Amino acid sequence: MRVELGGRVALVTGAAGTIGRAIARRLSDNGARVVIADINREGAEAFAAELPEAMAATIDITSQDSTEAGVAATIARYGRLDILVNNAGVNSFVHRVTIDAFPSEEWERVTRIDLDGLYRMSHAALQPMVAQGEGGRIINIASVVGLAAMRLQSAFVAAKAGIIHVTRSMALELGPQGILTNAIAPGSIMSEGTRSLFYGADGKFAGRTEEFMRHLPLGRPGTAEEIAEAVLFLASPNAAYVNGQVLAVDGGWTAGYML
Amino acid sequence: MEINLEGKAITLRGDDNPVSAALGVALAANGATLGDHAYPDMLILSFPLLPTEGLVVEPLLARAESIGEAMAQRGHGRILCLVSAAAGMPMRRHPDYSRRMANVLITVRTLAMRLGPNVLVNAVGVGAIGEPLVAGDAAMLGHASVTRPGTIEEVVDTALFFADPLNTYTTGQMLSVDGGWTAGYGRNF
Repeated sequence: MRVELGGRVALVTGAAGTIGRAIARRLSDNGARVVIADINREGAEAFAAELPEAMAATIDITSQDSTEAGVAATIARYGRLDILVNNAGVNSFVHRVTIDAFPSEEWERVTRIDLDGLYRMSHAALQPMVAQGEGGRIINIASVVGLAAMRLQSAFVAAKAGIIHVTRSMALELGPQGILTNAIAPGSIMSEGTRSLFYGADGKFAGRTEEFMRHLPLGRPGTAEEIAEAVLFLASPNAAYVNGQVLAVDGGWTAGYML
Repeated sequence: MEINLEGKAITLRGDDNPVSAALGVALAANGATLGDHAYPDMLILSFPLLPTEGLVVEPLLARAESIGEAMAQRGHGRILCLVSAAAGMPMRRHPDYSRRMANVLITVRTLAMRLGPNVLVNAVGVGAIGEPLVAGDAAMLGHASVTRPGTIEEVVDTALFFADPLNTYTTGQMLSVDGGWTAGYGRNF
């Protein structure tokens, strides 16, 4: 897909990570000027140097001061902000336990980053976006677990369900001003972090991955580029009547029960 | 918006309306060969987008199943249904139409599971479109937070997104083009 983003300014959080990089690159390839926002300063700066007219911003989305400073830096550089992609997030990979055993500090860590962080980043970004009076786009990266709950990751499930529903609330509130809010719900996505989880040294699905993949109509994990393609469409002028929607890019995971 | 459909055979069947007509033009403009292909790369089923009583959807769905099975055996293909957004949010004033649209949506989801991994099956949910309306119901505008009807082009572009050769991990989904009608209550209570 080729769309015309015409110099619009897009801020992507978590843009030093696998999915964030793919999103930022796709937006840039289609004419956006991209703010590579990440808590990882070195990663953000190195990646921003690869893209034309991009800038790096070190943003900790759990800090209102940090999100506001990142937006201020964006305005100082480009004079506007048109697209926000709330991509940054974490899951709990150590505490895979039921909720009665789930540590409160881990619950607070996950929800503070995933859900509260999305609020703080959106709140900061909306100040110039609303003031510009020319509309805008917010694309929230949720997860299929926000649509279909899973065991042993209750904090992540709760945060992602919250993101999905606040996406709808934002759409209702901001739509009259031409600011459209939508969400992507990725399924299992291949990244540097998950590659070793999915595949063994022999290049075949490892452990229980093969069993898990039988629950997916497409039978494979997705790629960051496949998420980025959906983000690109929602960010484009062509999606100007799509609002408050949650698009699962999940290989059919949420289409129904396969087994 | 441009996608590369060079060499793709696409069959567009069903209701002939301004949206399906414009989609046909857009698909051809992006390189697709439209026609009544026996084994198309993509099958698009156009259902009536204005509320219609007594609608019969089964023949088109049966067509989708048979062509979809052939696509699965061949190893690739896509099916896209143009339906009302009422498929996912029934309207009190159009219970029969809503029920039949929901039937289409559930079939999209079950076909996605049956025909994977090489066939993608999705739907575009269409809200209030055009002035005068060519899709949906004027009552939809009361809850749509984008305070205007959508345009035919906006529906067409969403359909193109599902035809996009780079859109390869989405199946069993409906993306609605409804200005936020299905997002929730567009009221300040």
